[in-house]
Amino acid sequence: MATNHSRKRKGSGNNHRPSKKCAVEKEDIVDVMTDSERKPNFSSLSGPNGVNRNHASPLVANKPVSTRKLIIKNFKDKPKLPENYQQQTWDKLKEAVIAIHKSTSIKSSLEELYQAVENMCSHKMAPLLYEQLRVLCDEHVKSNVSQFLADSVNSPLYLKQMNTCWQAHCQQMIMIRSIFLFLDRTYVLQNSSMPSIWDMGLELFRVHIISNRSVQNRTVVGLLLLIESERNGEAVDRSLLKSLLRMLSDLQIYHEVFEVQFLEATNQLYRTEGQQLMQERDVPEYLMHVDKRLNEETERLLHYLDQSTKKALITCVEHQLLGDHLSSILQKGFDNLMEANRTSDLTLMYQLFSRVKNGLHELCAGFSSYVKKRGRAIVINPEKDKTMVQELLDFKEKLDTIVSDCFQNNEKFILALKDSFEYFINQRLNNSRALAKFVDSKLRAGNKEATEEELERLLDKIMVIFRFIHGKDVFEAFYKRILQRDFCRKSASVDAEKSMLSKLKQECGGGFTSKLEGMFKDMELSRDINIAFKQHLQNISSPDNIDLTVNILTMGYWPTYVPVEVHMPPEMVSYQEIFKKFYLAKHSGRKLQWQPTLGHCVLKASFSAGAKELQVSLFQTLTLLLFNGTEELALEDIAHQTGIEDTELRRTLQSLACGKARVIQKVPRGKDVEDGDKFVFNNEFKNKYFRIKINQIQMKETAEEQISTQERVFQDRQYQIDAAIVRIMKTRKTLSHTLLVSELYEQLKFPVKPGDLKKRIESLIDRDYMERDKDNSNMYKYVA
Amino acid sequence: MADDEKREQMEVGSGDVDINDKKPDKMFGLKKWNLVAMWSWDVECDTCAICRVQVMDTCLRCQAENKQQECVVVWGECNHSFHNCCMSLWLKQNNRCPLCQQEWALQTTGK
Ligand SMILES: [Zn+2]
Ligand SMILES: [Zn+2]
Ligand SMILES: [Zn+2]
Repeated sequence: MATNHSRKRKGSGNNHRPSKKCAVEKEDIVDVMTDSERKPNFSSLSGPNGVNRNHASPLVANKPVSTRKLIIKNFKDKPKLPENYQQQTWDKLKEAVIAIHKSTSIKSSLEELYQAVENMCSHKMAPLLYEQLRVLCDEHVKSNVSQFLADSVNSPLYLKQMNTCWQAHCQQMIMIRSIFLFLDRTYVLQNSSMPSIWDMGLELFRVHIISNRSVQNRTVVGLLLLIESERNGEAVDRSLLKSLLRMLSDLQIYHEVFEVQFLEATNQLYRTEGQQLMQERDVPEYLMHVDKRLNEETERLLHYLDQSTKKALITCVEHQLLGDHLSSILQKGFDNLMEANRTSDLTLMYQLFSRVKNGLHELCAGFSSYVKKRGRAIVINPEKDKTMVQELLDFKEKLDTIVSDCFQNNEKFILALKDSFEYFINQRLNNSRALAKFVDSKLRAGNKEATEEELERLLDKIMVIFRFIHGKDVFEAFYKRILQRDFCRKSASVDAEKSMLSKLKQECGGGFTSKLEGMFKDMELSRDINIAFKQHLQNISSPDNIDLTVNILTMGYWPTYVPVEVHMPPEMVSYQEIFKKFYLAKHSGRKLQWQPTLGHCVLKASFSAGAKELQVSLFQTLTLLLFNGTEELALEDIAHQTGIEDTELRRTLQSLACGKARVIQKVPRGKDVEDGDKFVFNNEFKNKYFRIKINQIQMKETAEEQISTQERVFQDRQYQIDAAIVRIMKTRKTLSHTLLVSELYEQLKFPVKPGDLKKRIESLIDRDYMERDKDNSNMYKYVA
Repeated sequence: MADDEKREQMEVGSGDVDINDKKPDKMFGLKKWNLVAMWSWDVECDTCAICRVQVMDTCLRCQAENKQQECVVVWGECNHSFHNCCMSLWLKQNNRCPLCQQEWALQTTGK
């Protein structure tokens, strides 16, 4: 309330004190005088609504309009007064004022008293009247102070007494003012230095009562005590507080007498409380308490404190309970809240932290470090690779929910989440590998586990994680290896794979997926080749009735395996040769390298219980075929006859003789294949199914394979850098080193060191793709 | 996948059981064979001497223009081989094989 402290208040703006009558009278005044003209000197008034003009108008007399009429009366009633008129009239008024002061009845009628005041004013007795009234009030107010000087009264009672006195004072001044209204409106308003009757009353109360050191001290201490006990949870008389604080405001001493001490007390209370409760309570409890305190103080502002205290008070609570404890709160409780997904506590924490300086900054930093720490724990442990991606997806979803529900989707937090994810996910190169495997397992499960939409949604989520990975090419390399295995076994869900491919393409651009596309192209071309080959077989006399299908992979697109050579039965060798001839006749300049590791077959098998079909790898096939016409074979015989590498062969035999479908038997029995073991055909083999798939026991990807995958990745990176440089230089023709490097960073999808880029640029200069500018060695020119 | 290890999958048969009693000594017969092969250019040297990229990879210019499928290899009578694109650019300046300096004579183009 801006007018609270205005010295020249007209008893307005305070609901509890001035009577309705007063408020109405004030409106009468406003009729003529705007706020800015509240203290006008009538004689100097001019302008469209000026009183002087009205004064000169002959029509004015007939206009029964408020103040204007009153002034004109001055002239009409040129009076002849009795000698003692002034004394008599004053006595009458004085008696009335004293009656008001003593709360006894007034003898004269109010109408009579108004008239008396008006008459005295009309006869230029206003200054005297004002002074006499002032002296009278002065004496009365002065006499009131004595009751506050006694020692015996306790504090609550003292405050009540003070309030009673103040309320009475206000009441009296309102009545007095209504009697002396004419004086107030005419004489007082003409003198800018003269306080209105109401203000005069306040002035007297201030000087005689509240400015007394002891009175003031006891009042303020009493108020502070009362507030303190309310803060300690006791119920207090809020209307008493409200009234007395309003008194201080009205007396214009609220700030210096009360507020300063109040804020100091508040500061101390919450400083102690903050330090103590931070020790005693856990974070959610503490935050709840802070919230409660803030609400209480807001209530206090609503109920009795002056609004001008608001900013300082709330800031003080925020500072002492929050601002000073930000990092301890975060250290003590933030991770737990995140871990337990305590969304309501986190929401509160966000709301509270957003109130103080640096609060959100600190919270965001805490959030970021939590994500990094927790995320790192998920990705760093190779034992957990199987569950890692699902955990990451869950973790991401949880964090997204927290950011949107608790942190109001604050952009800083969104960014922090992204950066932290990116940071921890790239702590380990193998994440790409785990991600590729996860993608693969989901794609292979295909429609069995999830509907198409669910699969799509899952792929979208995976792409979110994929986006954070720096070594996207590493992902690509592993993904290719998995794709290859699936392609050669025909178990890939081609639609899902293609959908994944298009997502990757969107994410990384065509350059990244070009090799994957090449792989898909190979799959399609292989289909055509097989059709053509089948026709070709019909034209020549083919040796046996084997259903041969061929997958032709383009070297470079696909992961490569160390080439191995195995011995195959003559009819298989001749089949292979027929195909080779057929293929090379169609494609000049090419050579073929067989990939026995990737081959697989369907075998017809005859057991005493009936015939079966076995789906087996090429290595398993070669092994089993040896048993045609032989009772028993030693490990060494099989090795010799098939030429399969030792560990590979042991694994193969294990799958056939020690797994669930034991189509051959090992002698002696046992889980592992040892030197000297012998193997026999298991004629008694039984299985309720006709077609049986016997999986090759797979070693975890050998270290060698992993290394070769990585090497290939690094070589590919060099080509990609080279290609990007050439592409950029071709468009730009000339470019500075700095600009070239910055464009490269934009285009390349994997982390590169500046030194490596420099090397590639040098190499391209060597190879005449570009040259240095002769005048400026920092400029490059494209060589067409 | 690691969890695939040692796990056998059984599938319900189509039912066409035919017991082959005529060849009791042949327990296993090859019915279907899925052969996998990898093709590459039949070259003496893996790397194109002009652009110094492996011939199985697209030459740098074609990589930059995303024309992977079109970048084939050429052989000269000298048996040296290069990316076709690289060689055609080279021939505009110099009619000799970059490796042996013999006059370039086309032997064959890969397809
Ligand atoms: Zn080349
Ligand atoms: Zn090319
Ligand atoms: Zn040559």
